[in-house]
Amino acid sequence: MASGKKTGGVAGIWLDDHELMVAAEKVRHAGYKHFDAIAPFPVHGLEEACGVKRSSIPYVTFVAGCTGLAAGLALTWWTSAIDWALNVGGKPFVSGPAFVPIMFELTILFAALASVGAMFVFARLPKIDPPIIDPDLTSHKFAIFIPENEVNYDAGRAEQLLKSLGAVETKRISEY
Amino acid sequence: MAAHTSGPRPAPSTYTPSRRTKTVYAVMMFVGVLLFALGLIKDPTRTWYSYLTSYFYFTSLAVGGLFFAAIQHISKAGWSVVIRRFSEAMTAFLPVAAVASIVLFFGAKSLYIWLDPELVSHDKLLAGKASYLNMTFFIVRMVLFFGLWIWFAKRIIGNSLKQDQDGSEKWTLKNVPNSIAFILVFALSYSLFSVDTLMSLQPHWYSTIWGVYCFAGLFQSTCAVLVITVGYMIRKGLVRGWVNIEHLHDLAKFMKAFTIFYAYIAFSQFMLIWYANLPEETIFYLARSGGGWMAATIALFVFKFAVPFLLLLPRAAKRSVAHTTLVSILILIMQYVDIHWMVYPNLSQTWIFSWYEIGTFLLFGGLFLWAITSFFAKNSLVATRDPRLEESLNHHVVY
Repeated sequence: MASGKKTGGVAGIWLDDHELMVAAEKVRHAGYKHFDAIAPFPVHGLEEACGVKRSSIPYVTFVAGCTGLAAGLALTWWTSAIDWALNVGGKPFVSGPAFVPIMFELTILFAALASVGAMFVFARLPKIDPPIIDPDLTSHKFAIFIPENEVNYDAGRAEQLLKSLGAVETKRISEY
Repeated sequence: MAAHTSGPRPAPSTYTPSRRTKTVYAVMMFVGVLLFALGLIKDPTRTWYSYLTSYFYFTSLAVGGLFFAAIQHISKAGWSVVIRRFSEAMTAFLPVAAVASIVLFFGAKSLYIWLDPELVSHDKLLAGKASYLNMTFFIVRMVLFFGLWIWFAKRIIGNSLKQDQDGSEKWTLKNVPNSIAFILVFALSYSLFSVDTLMSLQPHWYSTIWGVYCFAGLFQSTCAVLVITVGYMIRKGLVRGWVNIEHLHDLAKFMKAFTIFYAYIAFSQFMLIWYANLPEETIFYLARSGGGWMAATIALFVFKFAVPFLLLLPRAAKRSVAHTTLVSILILIMQYVDIHWMVYPNLSQTWIFSWYEIGTFLLFGGLFLWAITSFFAKNSLVATRDPRLEESLNHHVVY
């Protein structure tokens, strides 16, 4: 959800999560696309209100899982049938059932690590030094931030909109 | 908690089975009884095998409905309140299954070789197991299982229905200890039930994971029946304003999870036997790898796990009534193939399926559907006065 670095804009502050959600929906209907809503705790339904698209992480997970499955097969096949063929209990060198646990584990390992990795990439983590719109946003205040890279951005109009939606305070931010 | 408004809500519609529905059930039962009787004349042994297969299939669904309701009470689940009644309805088949067990006793001699005293006296292994595998103890256990299941169903589902009348939350509180006790009883009784009725068909062989394997099929197919019921109710608009796609979504997730669980347990059973390669254990899989049984074995992997798993993977797929219903039908078919695969290799070395099997399936299917629909006709389709109702109505699956 984060916009590019060092982007200025306008922020409005709310004191109630429900009002924030209503405001976020109206900001979206007003045509803004890149705005961000900031809350000290997860607010159910805020993603929909902001129009946040579903994350692409599941696709990364799926592809990584398939890769892990194939890697597990390649590893077990190569080690037990090609590189160092070993007769275990008279079973064939390529014994599917014996490979399944390794293939399963590598599927999970690849999928899990890739999901965490993708989450870091998509969320642009880690953010070492995030800009501070308002220190109380981590305890009891809520904000909507409209960045200046919005199409047809006008600081005055954005401020007007946020105020009309019930923001108790608006701030111009030079770097976000 | 999102944008749902909880304005005045129309009471859930009452379900009255149409004349046509009743006729269909009557025809199913009639044809079933006819084919069953004809089968008993032509080939009693095979008919009893087919009886056992369908009997186990539908009994598992009935116990599965009770198990589903019990875990909702234990976990104090909020999301499932509006769909819990559908699982409670499945337990209406339990008394019928109890009667069917009595009928099964008459066919036991055709099914279980441990009932043949001549054979047992010459077989050291069977003689050693005779203190457990004998007709008296078999009947005692079956009476005990069904007695306990019906007793718990009366309590847990009875309390839920009483709550519809007075709206008191004491019924919800009471159902927690009831459900905990039931889960403990269920784990033991259903394991032994599956060992007694299915595994003892081949009394020399044993698998310690057998009960869990049967449970995996039970829960997967129970979820499938629930998904079909919820889909039907949504399509017919009988529970408009109460049950929505969010509940279906979570139920489909449940079904997918237990599709994976089934594969996990099935493979666990297979791999240990394959690895150790002991003749006394491998006979089970050897009997299922020839004469057309190999195709069934592979079909179980492909259509009971791989295909449903992939079909239930996308989010949009789990939120479609038509799609989840189709996957559920596939799972229910494969559950039959699974039980058939467990039972029939003891009768025939080649894969067989014909009117003998269809007959008893129709008979039990008709009885099962009749039991469910008469439960719906008598009771509210939704537990409308559950204290956690509001949470369920506002249930919302986040991405």
